[in-house]
Amino acid sequence: MNIRTNARRAGAVIAFAAGTSLVLAGCAGGGSGDGASTGATEFSVLVTNENTQTGQLFDILKENQCATEEKALPYTLSQTPSADMQSKIQLLSGQDALPVFYAGTQSLVKPGGDLEKAGQVLDLRQTFDDLGVLDQVTPAAQSVIEQLYDGAFPTIPLQFNIEGIFYNKKIFADNNIEIPTTLDELTEAADKLKAAGVTPIVASGKTGWTISRWLGAMIYSELGPDALSKVASGDAKLTDPEYVKVAQQLQDLGPDFIDGITNLDYDTMNAQMLNGDAAMMYMGTWFLANVNNPDQNKVGDDIGFFQFPGIDGYPANVGSPNVINAKLYNDGVGGWLSCIAKNWGSEALKTQGSFSGFVVNDPVADLPPLTADIQDKISKAPGSVLWFEGLFTPKANADSSANAAPLLTGAMSAEDFMGLIQGDLDSGQ
Amino acid sequence: MSATLTNAGTTRKAAPPAGARAKRLTTSAVIKIIIGVLLVVEIYPLFWLLSSSLKTKDEIVSSPLWSLPSSLQFSNYVEAFTTGSLGRNALNSLIVTVPSLFLIIVLGAAAGFALEVMLWKGRNAVLFLIVGGMMVPLQMVLLPLFTIYYQTGIANSYLPLIITYVGHGLPLTVFLMATYFRAIPREIFEASTLDGGGAFRAFFSVGLPMVRNGIFTVALLQFFSVWNDLLIALTFNIDSKLSTIQVGLLHFSDEYGAINYGPLFAAISMLVFSTLAIYLAINQQVMRGLTAGSVKG
Amino acid sequence: MKHVLGNKKAIAVLLLPALLIYLGVMVVPAIWSFVLSFMDGSPVVGFEFVGLKNFEHLFSDKEALNALLFTLKYAIIISVGQILLGYALALLYTFVLRKSSTFIRTMVFFPVVLPTVAIALLFGKLFSVSPQEGPINSIIGLFGAPAVDWFATGENAFIVIVIMDLWRSMGFFAILLYAGLIEIPEEILDSARIDGAGGLRLVWNIVVPVSLPVLMATIIFSLNSSLKVFDSILALNNGGPGSATTPLNLLMYKTAFTYGDFGYGSTLALVITVVCLAATLLVFRSSRRDLTKG
Repeated sequence: MNIRTNARRAGAVIAFAAGTSLVLAGCAGGGSGDGASTGATEFSVLVTNENTQTGQLFDILKENQCATEEKALPYTLSQTPSADMQSKIQLLSGQDALPVFYAGTQSLVKPGGDLEKAGQVLDLRQTFDDLGVLDQVTPAAQSVIEQLYDGAFPTIPLQFNIEGIFYNKKIFADNNIEIPTTLDELTEAADKLKAAGVTPIVASGKTGWTISRWLGAMIYSELGPDALSKVASGDAKLTDPEYVKVAQQLQDLGPDFIDGITNLDYDTMNAQMLNGDAAMMYMGTWFLANVNNPDQNKVGDDIGFFQFPGIDGYPANVGSPNVINAKLYNDGVGGWLSCIAKNWGSEALKTQGSFSGFVVNDPVADLPPLTADIQDKISKAPGSVLWFEGLFTPKANADSSANAAPLLTGAMSAEDFMGLIQGDLDSGQ
Repeated sequence: MSATLTNAGTTRKAAPPAGARAKRLTTSAVIKIIIGVLLVVEIYPLFWLLSSSLKTKDEIVSSPLWSLPSSLQFSNYVEAFTTGSLGRNALNSLIVTVPSLFLIIVLGAAAGFALEVMLWKGRNAVLFLIVGGMMVPLQMVLLPLFTIYYQTGIANSYLPLIITYVGHGLPLTVFLMATYFRAIPREIFEASTLDGGGAFRAFFSVGLPMVRNGIFTVALLQFFSVWNDLLIALTFNIDSKLSTIQVGLLHFSDEYGAINYGPLFAAISMLVFSTLAIYLAINQQVMRGLTAGSVKG
Repeated sequence: MKHVLGNKKAIAVLLLPALLIYLGVMVVPAIWSFVLSFMDGSPVVGFEFVGLKNFEHLFSDKEALNALLFTLKYAIIISVGQILLGYALALLYTFVLRKSSTFIRTMVFFPVVLPTVAIALLFGKLFSVSPQEGPINSIIGLFGAPAVDWFATGENAFIVIVIMDLWRSMGFFAILLYAGLIEIPEEILDSARIDGAGGLRLVWNIVVPVSLPVLMATIIFSLNSSLKVFDSILALNNGGPGSATTPLNLLMYKTAFTYGDFGYGSTLALVITVVCLAATLLVFRSSRRDLTKG
């Protein structure tokens, strides 16, 4: 083989490559464009493929409620798979090619985040106020956004979901279990169900947040509503004994979770609940779409929802960030924003049965019972907290999700788990 | 000579009797068992795929792997076409794959010939430089490439995909083609030049026919690496009208991680079975061509 | 007539198109990425020079070390498996099945056609414990052993990954190696048989040396692709549980695109390239020794 003799020349080739690289570095540096934008010429929207709701609602709005805005600034939609969204946003931003409305990532959008620093994130509190529609955003949604983004308001709350425990009323009744109001009662109930041969709790190890949300809720329940914001601000550490103790409590609850949880996926988890095979599942209210779908739901009205015991209010979230590109803002975009603020809440509830962070101006009748029940709970909620990873860095978020199942099964100790996440937070990644 | 997947192997004479008849019988039994196991292990997934494509979502996630669908959900196929825009994406995949494959083979074979058969100073270093491309993780050239394609204004077309597939496919192709050319005795090329033929004749009329097997092998490998690519297609795809099939398959999941299994399996089934059909059709053609123009026994 | 095969113009026409595209698509970006490994930042806010900071981080990064060790373990086992199984299959096609091997070749090759997502779903189901026991656990159950939660520990998950990737790629490698075997002239085999070489001795003394160039090329390809393993593990279990089965390439991708640290991601990419280079050189060296011996 000729190549064999080439081994000796490899060094020369590498040295050549290193030399060239210095020249190229100079070229690469000058590549960043500074396109002078005169504002948007179309209302371009970029959301994930997986997010079908947003596109559907925009299609309705542009035909009806927002027809004038559509005429002034036509709406266009592009989509990319969520797995690719973050890299796509970064790559497009590097070319100054982000659309008017894009699905960002929390860490890039929050104050001090890369996109915010690059001036591509519009301050929506100011904008909504100028447009006279700030009162269209529900106080609960405003509060969640401010908690998530250090007081800033960079995202349009097209969704607003609370989280708690969905449960099977029939299984609870058959085993004489009341809705638990403390963590101890919850543990007792789970143990009792396990002894009766029922799967007490279902979650998905492949979708790790379905487990780590338990940890977050338990931390709120045991240590109070500011327990996680203290970690974010550095006033407390996840490695502090009281936090580790809660992680240990979750591990102790591990045997009450479904067997083989590590590689269980999101759909199997949902099916367990909707087929009546499992008694409890921690989930957000987006799950109502599945509950209200008779093809999936085999137990009908037996699915109920209760607040996680010991928390005053509900963990709540506003979906992934929907950001307006500040560089492209003009009156046309403003027109769209006020139209969205006035109409999104009613339209989302009416056509999709989903909740948003906007006021419902046009009450909707005939909601399914659980949906109506949850809407009522949302409107009466005293306040809301974030979820476990709410204020985490991307690396801490990924590590928490990936290691949630090992924590639960005992493959990883509570100390190691909390140490790993705290290490990520400390390094600022 | 015969092609790797198409043709049925060289016409060999039967092996001379090597041992006792009994020994041969046990050997053949063992081989039959091995082949039987191989086939079960390889064919079962096809069956699983097909049966899953006809199941409801609940059956897929909650029933055992081997269970049969209780009712045939042909609606999965309808949904695969509507939500997955399967037709459009299949066309895009073809538009990208065919020219990529053509360029990879033609350019790769020519470069392999220039580096292995042609004689010049520095060819070993260049060959090593190209082989070095096999060592670079693709993930890391994505950011620079994205910038290059954007700055040159070709980002919103099929070109970034085609160019990237060709550039990424060349190292393995050149490497393998050089290996195949090396197996041919040098005298054959030198003889062809004695007749007064130039270097191009040596390449087209002598070199290429003699490495037909190799070309077919490489084409096969490159076809599937381009056809099945997700990473490049995902990164350089900006307009969803230009999405390839593999990107289209991602349409079957929702925001929170739920997957629409029935239509997904329906889409994969159509993809796999149509690929197999195309493959078998081409197989017939290539086989006929190869047996017709056989060069050496 | 050496000058005809040394014709500079012909060399340029044959080589340059490929070389230029390759330089543009692979080499320039690779060097660009190499430069980024001395920088901090992201495409959004731009990059700044930080000297050797990323390399200092590398040498104290336990996660990177674990990923490197996992990658090496994976690459060695997978490459050995791919070559042995692939070669065995290629021998089966060439010497046993002969003319009738087309169908078997196609079927064994077939997993390559399947999208990674489908393969990962299949193996997830094959090895599952709940809600339904997968076939593998059912077979284990027949022998009276308790069901195994295959994805709960790194060791067990690794076994599933190895089985999955070998199943998926052995047909592919069989084809690569088969291309080398069918070129062996019948006369060579016949004369060897007359000399009394049979079975394995025939393979070892005659077949392996003759197909050595293709074998070496295949080993190098196998090593370089398994050292860069990415999508199959991502789809099967995302490198879990925790990061127990996370290879370098996956860690690098997450570092750059999920954690937004392109500089350190480029540093990890450089590590992968260096490891691939070292493995390739090692194979070249040992093959030279083999040749002089044989």
